[in-house]
Amino acid sequence: MSRLYEDGDKYGYQSDFAIVEAYNSAVKDLVRKRFDESGLAWRDFVAGRAYDAITKDDMAAIEQRLLSYGYRFEPSAMSSATERPEAYKDSGLHDENFCFEHPDAPTAPADAGGRELRGAGDNVVSRAANVTGIARYVRTSDKVLEYLTNGVPDDTIAIVDDSGGTLTAPILEKFKAVLCAGGTTRSHLAILTREYGIPCFMNARLSGIRTGDVLEVEATAKAKSGDDYASGSDVSGKVWRLKASGE
Amino acid sequence: MSENKLTYAQLLETNNLIQQNADETYWLCATRTVQESKIFPVSAYILFSYLNCFYRYPTLLKKIEASMSAEEIGDRARNQGQKITAWTLPCFYLLGREMLINWGMIKPTDAVEDVIYVLDFWKRFQLSWHRNNGNLTNRQAGHRAQVMPEQKLQVFHADAFECREGDPLHKAAQAFMATTAQYGFLVSCESRLTMHNHGPYRISDRREMLVRDFRELSEYDVPWLDGVGRDIPFNNLTVTMILEDCHINLLDDWGSFESEPEMRAEHMVAVGLYTADNLSDGHIPVGMGSKQELTDTFLDLTERVKVATGKLWQEMSGWTRDQQLDAGALTYFAVIKEFAHYAGVYDVDDWMMIDERAERFRPLLNDEYGNLFLGELVGYITTPSQRMHDYTMMQHTGTPARALSYFPYSILDDGDYTASVGPMRPGTSNLPAKVDRYRTTEGVLGLDEYNRRSREFVPNSCSPRFRYLCADWVKYHYETPLADELFALEQKDSRLLKGKGASLRRDDIERLRAASNAGE
Repeated sequence: MSRLYEDGDKYGYQSDFAIVEAYNSAVKDLVRKRFDESGLAWRDFVAGRAYDAITKDDMAAIEQRLLSYGYRFEPSAMSSATERPEAYKDSGLHDENFCFEHPDAPTAPADAGGRELRGAGDNVVSRAANVTGIARYVRTSDKVLEYLTNGVPDDTIAIVDDSGGTLTAPILEKFKAVLCAGGTTRSHLAILTREYGIPCFMNARLSGIRTGDVLEVEATAKAKSGDDYASGSDVSGKVWRLKASGE
Repeated sequence: MSENKLTYAQLLETNNLIQQNADETYWLCATRTVQESKIFPVSAYILFSYLNCFYRYPTLLKKIEASMSAEEIGDRARNQGQKITAWTLPCFYLLGREMLINWGMIKPTDAVEDVIYVLDFWKRFQLSWHRNNGNLTNRQAGHRAQVMPEQKLQVFHADAFECREGDPLHKAAQAFMATTAQYGFLVSCESRLTMHNHGPYRISDRREMLVRDFRELSEYDVPWLDGVGRDIPFNNLTVTMILEDCHINLLDDWGSFESEPEMRAEHMVAVGLYTADNLSDGHIPVGMGSKQELTDTFLDLTERVKVATGKLWQEMSGWTRDQQLDAGALTYFAVIKEFAHYAGVYDVDDWMMIDERAERFRPLLNDEYGNLFLGELVGYITTPSQRMHDYTMMQHTGTPARALSYFPYSILDDGDYTASVGPMRPGTSNLPAKVDRYRTTEGVLGLDEYNRRSREFVPNSCSPRFRYLCADWVKYHYETPLADELFALEQKDSRLLKGKGASLRRDDIERLRAASNAGE
């Protein structure tokens, strides 16, 4: 089989992630095969025959091969797992009892004031006072639609998965605070909460917080700046549980 | 083998332009992490867009330049604002190239003349857009974006209305910006491409001005705003914000900023509102007749944007994944489509379609592969094509890597390269067909009429009489009638500066503002 130009790479051998390597290698194998079959010089193949010889069906076959080994993709967008449950892992987004258990979440027993440390995050804007409110996970468009229809309950500290600004777009301004498990203080959600004046932690590491828990968010913590990211400084603000749901 | 028309100088410069983008790509992406969304398969659509850019940009930029040069487009952009093109144009394109290299679909020696042309176009556009500060990018300017000329800044400065946190204008302006930023992220499928900042511009020892452009809010190029955006009466809105005791210490090529201290509502002490597009003669004031009129205008616009946000969210959350993938990819790919409007050569099939050569790869673009491959390309810089020899210390990380592949100089000797990806091929889309309605400052137009007017219209500041009257000319000719004429172009709709001519300095503007405020 033909040797591709990239096969002679002295420094680069494979990608760090298995699925990336699996896919990219499969595409390279396909290119070698179709190039061989063409009988053409590379210059005649690459911007000519290759367009018709390497097809969408070929790409679908690459995916199908991986799925046939039992591999299931990690979903990001809700539509992905909903439309193709056979190709994606269950997202677990609709689990009403869900709570984050980040391994790097700082925890500590209740202090003298009854505040139980349950996590930390990168503060977007340092505020004049900490914020207290009720934890509520907002993970699906169904939940957003419910709140859009019935109103966001008072004092909601929304706990969200990712740093985007679109899922919660129609209801974001109604939150008392936001704890986002991803992103940085320059992510879209951070930009929006700054604009709305809503306290927000990005990259929140949380443990054991459930919907209905009463929380205090250390909104007075130093905001994490670009310099902090560049130097690797940890300037996290804390998240305390004041009262567990049902107590 | 191509007929070898390349020169050593061309390759040296092109590799330098590649490297400038490579360094900034890592820095920008590392400070944002990989964006995710529960509504959009963001990483997957970003990769999809890169491929579309690689296959289509060379042809489309040449089509634009057949009518208007990159330098003239830069002049137009300075006249009316611009989406984020500084990083997106070269990097979307070059990251598509990098993907295809890692797939073995192309070699670093393929499409050489395309790459040289795209980067040269970008360089000429950027130098023109940035001509008032002489830099190629915000990065090169130390992460600062001072693009506007004195005569426009004076008007923005003079006419901004004073406000303080808690007063009606301040509240209305803050609500408008938050609501419109939110809408913008939705319009742009979770990207920031609807919103752009430039500045800062020094107003006084304690004050700086930041200029924020919201672009494409109404019915225009993207089919998902047909109907949804109909009641938003302006497609583009520019908010001028004067900040006090808040220094913008970083404004990057994604148009986002950092400040010291971090910007809060209380820092904004004056605000103004304008609209502009490629058919307007500069910026047109919106609701700027009085403080009350501006307050009412912000409140009205906020309500309209909120309604549109609700409608758009409900529409988008019902989209199929293929529709989400198309919309996101087209949002990224078409970030430079305004260039085609300047030139009056915009075509829906050019800008709102996925080229069949990119479409082939759709089945690869599941969420997990999308996240990890994009993460490797722009965050970890660990794909095979990006790894370099062991002595290499990449800027920012010190790792033996380079985000974007160079051309090997050996092609000057052996001529073993290909020139181009070839002409554009047909495209497809899963989205509804675009309705023929385009909101402009001259009303809602059909595309044929819009293109016709675009081809004919030349803003006064870009006309032969004024085009080359730059800041360095004004410095030595401010007492001439021609300088007064130049300043009058911007002052014609100004509340405080109409007819004031070219001789005012910044402190004069402050005095006029103080007198105006005292008289309120």
